[in-house]
Order: sequence, then C-alpha cells, then structure tokens
Amino acid sequence: MAEKEIAIEVPAVPPLDIKSMTVPIPPGLIEECERKDEFMIFVGPQHGGSGHMRIIVRLKGDVITEAIPDPGYVHRGVEKLAENRLYIQNIPLVERPAIMDSANFNLGYVRAIERALDIEVPERAKYIRTILAELCRIGTHLYDAGILSVFLGHTTGFMWPFAMREMICEALMRISGARVTASYIIPGGVRRDVSKGVLEYVREVTFFIEKKTKDFEKIFIRNPVTIARLKDVAPISKKEAIKYGLVGPFLRACGVEYDVRAIEPYEVYDQLSWDIVVADDGDSYSRFLVRVNEIIQSINIIRQAIGILRSMPEGNVISPDVAGKKKKAKEEGEEKAEEKGPSDVKGKFYRFFGRLTLPAGEYTTLTEAARGTLLYTIVSDGQSTAPYRLRVVTPGWLYLKGFMESLKGCRLADLQAVYGSFGYFPPEADR
Amino acid sequence: MGGNMLGYNELLSMFRENMVSIPLLTKKVALFQYGGNVVYANSLVDVLANVPLLNLIVSAIFWRPLFAILILPGLTGIMLALLYIIWFERKLTAKVQWRFGPLEISRSIGGLIQPLADGIRYFFQEVIVHREAHRPHFLQFPLLSFLPVLLPILVIPAGAIYAIRTPYAIPIAVGLIALIPIVIVAIGWASNSKYAFIGSMREVFMYFAYEIAMIIAAMAMVIAYGSADAFVIVEKQSIVPGILLNPFACLAFFIATIMATSRFPFEIPEADQEVVFGPFVEYTGIIFGVVMTLAYEKLYLLCLLLSILFLGGWNGPYIPLGDLSPAIWLYIKTIVLMMIFVFFRSIYGRYRLDQAMRIGWGSLLGLAFVSLGVGIGIACTGWL
Repeated sequence: MAEKEIAIEVPAVPPLDIKSMTVPIPPGLIEECERKDEFMIFVGPQHGGSGHMRIIVRLKGDVITEAIPDPGYVHRGVEKLAENRLYIQNIPLVERPAIMDSANFNLGYVRAIERALDIEVPERAKYIRTILAELCRIGTHLYDAGILSVFLGHTTGFMWPFAMREMICEALMRISGARVTASYIIPGGVRRDVSKGVLEYVREVTFFIEKKTKDFEKIFIRNPVTIARLKDVAPISKKEAIKYGLVGPFLRACGVEYDVRAIEPYEVYDQLSWDIVVADDGDSYSRFLVRVNEIIQSINIIRQAIGILRSMPEGNVISPDVAGKKKKAKEEGEEKAEEKGPSDVKGKFYRFFGRLTLPAGEYTTLTEAARGTLLYTIVSDGQSTAPYRLRVVTPGWLYLKGFMESLKGCRLADLQAVYGSFGYFPPEADR
Repeated sequence: MGGNMLGYNELLSMFRENMVSIPLLTKKVALFQYGGNVVYANSLVDVLANVPLLNLIVSAIFWRPLFAILILPGLTGIMLALLYIIWFERKLTAKVQWRFGPLEISRSIGGLIQPLADGIRYFFQEVIVHREAHRPHFLQFPLLSFLPVLLPILVIPAGAIYAIRTPYAIPIAVGLIALIPIVIVAIGWASNSKYAFIGSMREVFMYFAYEIAMIIAAMAMVIAYGSADAFVIVEKQSIVPGILLNPFACLAFFIATIMATSRFPFEIPEADQEVVFGPFVEYTGIIFGVVMTLAYEKLYLLCLLLSILFLGGWNGPYIPLGDLSPAIWLYIKTIVLMMIFVFFRSIYGRYRLDQAMRIGWGSLLGLAFVSLGVGIGIACTGWL
C-alpha cells in the first residue's frame, strides 16, 4: 500500500520583528532609540562576554547611555525546591547556585538551622568551617580573576588562576571528598574530622597560591594594558554605592568598611586577626584589587586556623546535642536493622537528620560570601520536616543594580571589563 | 594562430630563458672530474626537456615570476608559514599557560598538523549564509581578499627570485597591503549585522590610526636608502642593517604591524569577548577559515617588508641551493618575526578602541615623524 503523504504545517519563519521577542524593555524604547540616533544591541545570552544573561545596551556612538539587564536564564527555583525537601536535603541544594563558593552558601543555611535549634558548635568544627569558607573564598576570587582576564582578552591571566584554583579543589577534595559543592557542613558541626596530614596539605596549598599570586601579579595585575583597561572605568562613589545597595568586596572597593565577618562575627572570625580590605577609588581596578588582597587575607586566616587546630585534640567536631541524639538514633537503628535486615542502608545520619524539625518561627542569618552579603531566612511552622519557606538573597542579585548603573557613560568595550570587575555570576544571582 | 601569439616552443623557450637556478632541479651539478672531463648530474628540467606538455609545466613553475608567486615567497610560502605559525602560536601560548596545546593529532611531532586538520574540518562544515546578508558580496569578498594578499608578492623580491623589478617596489607593496582592511570592511558591510557593523567601524578607526604612521616609517627608510627598489635597499644594508640605522622607524613599523594585523594588545576589531569576531561574526565553514587566516597573511606580508627594510632582507651566508639561498634567508627572517608577533598573545590583554587610537595618533605618529627626521638626516649626510 502506498503511503499517504501528510503535509505538516510548521511555521518555520523565525520572528524577525523585535516586538515578538520577550525582552524586558518598555514599549516605544526602540522607536525612541531610532529618534535619538542611538544604537541598541543585545549582548547575550549567546555571547562570548555576557554569561548566562542578556544585557540590552543603548549606545550613543561608542558610549553606553543605558544598560537594561535581562537576568533569569539560569533561574532554577532553589527557594521553591527547598520547600519540598527535608532540612538536611536542602544542604546540597543551596550550595548549587555558587559552584565554587559552596562552603559559604552551606554555612549560612546551616547557621540558620543551628540558630533555630540553639545548638552550640564545638570549637574544632568552627575552625574547620572557617578554613573551608576561606578556601572557597579564595577559589571564587581566583575564578572571577580568570573570567575578568579572559574578558580583557588576556588568556594567560585566565589559565593561571584556574590552575591555582585547581589546588583549592584538591584541598577541598582531601578535606571532604568532593572538589566543589562538598556538603560538608552540617547542623551541629562538620561531617567528619580533618586529619593532621590534610591540614599540612592545606597549609602547603596556601604557600603555593601565595607564590603563584605573585607571578599572576607580574603578568596580569600590574600589566599596563590591564591598568589602562580598568583604571577609572565605571567608578562608583561611596554615596552611590550605599544607594544602589552594593555588597561585599564591591562595597568595600568604594570605601565603605563593611564586612559581615567583622560586624556580626560568626564561627571564629573574631578570634583570628585579619584586616578588612578597603579601597577608595571605587573603579573597576580597585574592585579587582580588593579581591586580590582578600585572597592574601584569606590565606592569613587559614594559616592561623591551622596553627590553632594543630594544638587541638582531634575528634570533637559535632555538637554533643546532635551527637547524643545521633547515638540514640544509632541504637534505634541497630534495633531496626536487626528487624529489617541488611536492606536498611540509610544509616544513623539520615535517621537523625531526616526527622529534624525546627521550632515555629523565622530564623535569619547573614553570611559574608565571597561576592558579598548572603542572607538566608528559614520560616518554619514547627511541625514539618521541610521549611515552610526558605528565602535566599544572593550577593549577585543585590549588586546587579549597581553594576548596571555603573555602566552608564562607559564605552562598549568596557562592558566586559566592568562585568569582570564585578565578577557577576548569573547562576548565583538567579538562584 | 595570429602572428602576435606565442607558439608552444616560443613559450617554452621564454620560460627556459628566465628560470630560477636551483641545483638538481634546474641546474646541472658537477659531480667529479674524470680525465679532464667534468661529469654532471642532470637536472630535472633537462631530464624532462623532451617530454611534451610536462616540460612546459615544469619550466613554467621554475619560471622566475611564477616561481615567486606560487612557491617562494608566494602562495606555498604563505601556506607553510600559516600552518607553522598557527601551530607555534597555540603551542607557545599553551607553554606559557601551563598547558600542552595541540597534541592529539600527530602526537609524535607535537601536534604539528593540527592547523591542517582544522582546515579540513572547516572544509566539511556547512557554509551558512544568513537571510539578512548581501549574498553575492558575502561570498565573494573572502575570495577577493586573496588579491591584495598575493599582489604585493609581485613586487617583493626574494633575492634572485622576483616577479617584477621596479624602483617603486616598497610604495607599491605598502599600498597594496593597505587594501586588505577595505576588504574586511566590505565583509562586515556584506554581513549586515550589528556586531559586524561595530567590528567594521573598529577596523576603520584602527586603519586610520596605524596606516599613516606605517607609511611614514616605510618612507623614512626609503628616503634614508635613497631608493625604493628592494634590491638597492638590501644591498645598502650589507654592513649595517636598517634596524641599527634608524631604530625609531623600525619600532614604529613594528607597532604599526601589530595594530595592522590585529595582534594583541591591539586585537580590537575582532575582539571575541566584545564583538564576537566583529566583521567575521556571521561566517561559517571554509569561508570562515579563509577570513580567519586573512590577518596571518597580512602579518606574513608585513614581516617580509619588515625584514627587507630593517633586517637586511635576504643577506646571509650562502646555502648551496642556488637561487633559493637568499629566498630561504628572507623566509627564515620573516618566520622569526612572525614568531615574535604571535608571542604577544600570552603577555597582553587588549586595549580599548579609544586608547589604541590615542596610541596610534599620538605616540606612534610622533615616533614615525622622529624616524622621518632621522631618515632625512641619514640621506643628507650621505652615509649610504
């Protein structure tokens, strides 16, 4: 039997008209651009220098008159997903947005739970957490330095920090078993203790990174081309920085001395000596330099913490509250395991944390993540084993406005330089 | 056949009269003496002298003008330089950046044929002509770009291998090379897209920024040598090369070459993080391969000029390869210069357009004028 030919009507014409695209621009803007003799270009989301977002740029000649952000291309709904998971299952979830900065993201969430349960974390665990957080801070700053370099066309400046970051990944792997997104920090402490050998390795890594940062300084940071591209580009004054709500190193680059680690100290930041890195210029170069100097400060913090950890007895890395309950759960589990047989493989960890409930209320923590202030709010109804609502405000989202405002008056080629100087990371901002 | 037209034999004898002299290929070689008689090894052209058609083809290839265009320093030289320099650039950058670079293809020779493999890949990729493009121009300009690339070879001699000997060789070569940016701007125009437009505008601005300084620097040397004939220029450098004679001109020409060929730190028209390869944003497949190599071809030509003007051209110890000896010296100098130019990729980022223009119209132009003064000074004192 001859097959009957079926005509399929597929509208294969792609939309040529800009109006049919869903772009967040006010109606009439394109006509206005035409009238004012301006040029509108869409940078992203498929563009070598845009990241996972679109920036709609209005140009007068070569000068940017307005930049409209179109974020949300990597929105994964972390807040909504968190409402359907156990408290303990949210730990791997919340650290996903910022890949390299996982420990800081992890820490903020876990501290909110600890605040709700009123758990005191043992000293040793606090030091280990601090080391982990600072390692991730170094890793993120190196990552951002690499991206900034490649945005300026400097490929060596891209490869070197990424190679240095490889050492951070290795250190994280020896501590926790995962190169990134370790899920190592849990309510009450950390998963397991860190041995002396691993601590020595982490210490060696800090020396390696310090040495290589000096090489990096020679080839990229003090490079005349880099200085020409970043110096006096997109400056933000102290007043504007506060007005636009900049956070983290970008706020400090404008001369505002604000660091959550110093103002509301958590973990052991108040017991170690370190400086808040501040710059005055507020331009792209100082935004970059502040983060470079923060790497040095983080190395300093890690070395101090390792020095103290050496003299501390090993083993006590989980709070007695949690440990006691865990032991009880373990005994229960053993009884159950006898009944159930070898099919019960979840273990004591799951049996205790799986039934974790927070008392009703709202618990908020502020954390200084690598790119700035990170806010977690857990709203609990007091009965459920999953949060009623989890609010995550990431630093990227907070400084997006300042980033876009600073672009005004820059040249088109500066777009990538400013982007890199802010280290804007769309997955983190979009959550 | 008309009276004016050349017959087969006239053509053959015309080719044979003006052949490049290379031992064993076109010139017989004395092997040994035997009782007063010299025993020769016959050359390839002589062996094939009586084979019809083949003798014409072989002697046409070794005919001086055609040999200059097709073999050295022409097309074959350009292709070999391209294959080598792209591989070298990637390998050197990788070395600086704690990587390996091309390795998987031909592992035993360090991935040397990687650019060839890339070329083959380009060849079998689909060539997409988007709807908004001016289709005929979009396709013809990349091919037309070979004209300003190959025409300067006519007047750039390599020792005894040359196509046209003219007292205006340097101005003609500089003028023809200056046509390449026009092709690039036309490519950007034919692409008819926003990024291609911005890239073309950047190319135009850069063109003005370096071209004047480059011409002045070249002219300063022409004035100093008192001739624009490449043979005279090279002969006058037999003792002191031009780089020592007028280092300002050399530096100005050097920087202008970096700008002209979009090398770092002036890789501005094609900046892939900013305007995604600028004028070439819409190209795919083999046409992209053609337009991508345009900058390297220009680099080759400018390095040829640079070695003739400043590095003593084809001067060098004799290599027993007949006429090839000076050509090889020129080629080696050119390749070494290209290797220096591609090294900047691993040290510098890229300047902004306005900064590059400030350099071009400011310090570079000033340097060119200084070099012009030095050139006039040399000409007046009559050292050469």
